[in-house]
Amino acid sequence: MTGVDVAFWVFALAAVWSGYRVFRTDSMVRASFLLLASFLNVGAILVLLLAEYLGTALLFMMTVEMVVMALFMVMFMMNPAGLNPMEMVHQPRLAAVAGVVTTAGLGLVAVVVDFPDAPVDPAAETIRALGTELLGGSMLVFESAGVTLLATMVCAVILSAARGRYGDGTAGSVAPPLEPGGDHRPEDDLVGDGGGGHHHHGGH
Amino acid sequence: MTTLPPVVAVALVVAVLTVGVYGVAVVDRLVSAVVAGWMVSAGEALAAPLRAVAVAVTRQPVTTEAPDRILWVLAPAAYAGLAAAALAVVPLAPGVAVTDVRTGIVVFGAAEALAIVAIFLHGWAPNAPLPLIAGYRFVGVALSYELLSMFVLIAAAIPAESMSIGAIVESQAGLWNVIRQPLGLPLFLIVAAGVTFLGPLDVVDSTDLAGGGAAEDSGMQHLAWSAARAAMLIAFSAASAAVFLGGWHGPVLPAAVWMALKTAGVATVLVGARHVIARVSPERFVRWAWTVLLPLAFLDLVIAGMASL
Amino acid sequence: MVLETVLLVAAVLLGIGVWGALSQQSFVMLMMGIELMVNGAILAAGGLWAYAGGGAPKGQVLVIIAMAVMAIEMAIGFALVVAVYRARQADMTEGIASMKG
Repeated sequence: MTGVDVAFWVFALAAVWSGYRVFRTDSMVRASFLLLASFLNVGAILVLLLAEYLGTALLFMMTVEMVVMALFMVMFMMNPAGLNPMEMVHQPRLAAVAGVVTTAGLGLVAVVVDFPDAPVDPAAETIRALGTELLGGSMLVFESAGVTLLATMVCAVILSAARGRYGDGTAGSVAPPLEPGGDHRPEDDLVGDGGGGHHHHGGH
Repeated sequence: MTTLPPVVAVALVVAVLTVGVYGVAVVDRLVSAVVAGWMVSAGEALAAPLRAVAVAVTRQPVTTEAPDRILWVLAPAAYAGLAAAALAVVPLAPGVAVTDVRTGIVVFGAAEALAIVAIFLHGWAPNAPLPLIAGYRFVGVALSYELLSMFVLIAAAIPAESMSIGAIVESQAGLWNVIRQPLGLPLFLIVAAGVTFLGPLDVVDSTDLAGGGAAEDSGMQHLAWSAARAAMLIAFSAASAAVFLGGWHGPVLPAAVWMALKTAGVATVLVGARHVIARVSPERFVRWAWTVLLPLAFLDLVIAGMASL
Repeated sequence: MVLETVLLVAAVLLGIGVWGALSQQSFVMLMMGIELMVNGAILAAGGLWAYAGGGAPKGQVLVIIAMAVMAIEMAIGFALVVAVYRARQADMTEGIASMKG
């Protein structure tokens, strides 16, 4: 075992463990930063694999994304700090089986398939090559990603705007029932004066 | 691309950060005295950091109800570690960098982004209202200037044709980036003030939240947090000196001395700003950052790109 | 560290992501599962690039596209969460199970 091997196993186990803990912790903030830890470890493995730019860029991008995620978590979760233990899962058995099957299937592919043996040259200018590729051969792909991101920004703003061309985004908003299939309780509505929300509810 | 032996490298980073943190504390004492119109002797200023350490060590540690103890203790360590990582990619003299990696500015940007996480978690961990509000407020403000630093660093990389900070310094042999790209340094200093939350951008540990993120810190914990913050200030000062002020380039004096002088100069300006510029209102700053500063960063990129056509 | 081990780690990450995305009720946790799946995909692409692709630049472009996909998924996902919350005050998948309104 060389130093690189040891580092790889440390990062790999940390990535898997923190990825698992994401769905096992009570706190949403912890969940988002555990996911970040998983990404950071994968980024470190990418650096070990000589993809230095991708590994470092993954750190950078995922850090900002997970900070945003933590913010959203606390905005929308009923128990953001995770002080009270709670279970918010459904179809646990199906999900576990699907996860195991996915892992087993892909793992089988990894072990059985005979991949070509063409390792990257450690002395190669991989970062320069990536830059030349992005602004050369793959420019159309790269620019399409840019345009798609722009379209995403426009869509996200339209979807989340408080006021749209059809009026107030919260118009007719009603609270979901406490129990599945239960009755709507107007006093739970966040907007309107209770009765107003109920009126709209009936109109649909 | 040169690399020091690991032992020397770690010792170098620790030494620079220790001297830097002490220096920041001394300058902070001097500037605050000058601004307030007090007389302060040199000996008194030099002893001030040591006195702060003594006070912190003897103070009784207090805690909150059900905090996340591990994160609370680790947050200052993470913040200081990120300062060390950021400093590690900045060359201090020709050929003397801990690791002048090919992706220098990306590593610096990643350390800066992770510092946001460390600051947020430091506010979140005590499980108390004021630190939590400070952490959230910081994230809201930080997301608005996070992009600036990446853009100005990329602009500096364009004439160097490399993302290594050593190559960026070498590209400034004729003309420093501060003249070639005049928008770069001011924008970078705004980011530095934000990530080390000082002066006008102190939205974290500010007095309007009774100490904010550090409101529940006591004794050594508070000391560690202040030291980590000063360490990050040094890392940003060194990066500003290397990327925008020509790094080790300068007449007569040896290269390392020039680098040290420039770093100390930037650090002094930042510490001084803490005492002479009033804190901005966070919501006004966020609007201003997205609508004015970000377009200015684009302009900086355009200037850098046009100049290297 | 050989290609097989890298791909196995990627498969485990992807499997955990599938489990998380299917079992979590909260929209945001569900998105975390999807993110973890993309994380595994990025690792697999990086491994194949380094060991079987001979360092072809297009392999790195694939990883960059995967990162863009992740950013798009996050942005649209959060926008949908905001829109659904405005209309239904629901942050869990069961909350919009019925289209009755």
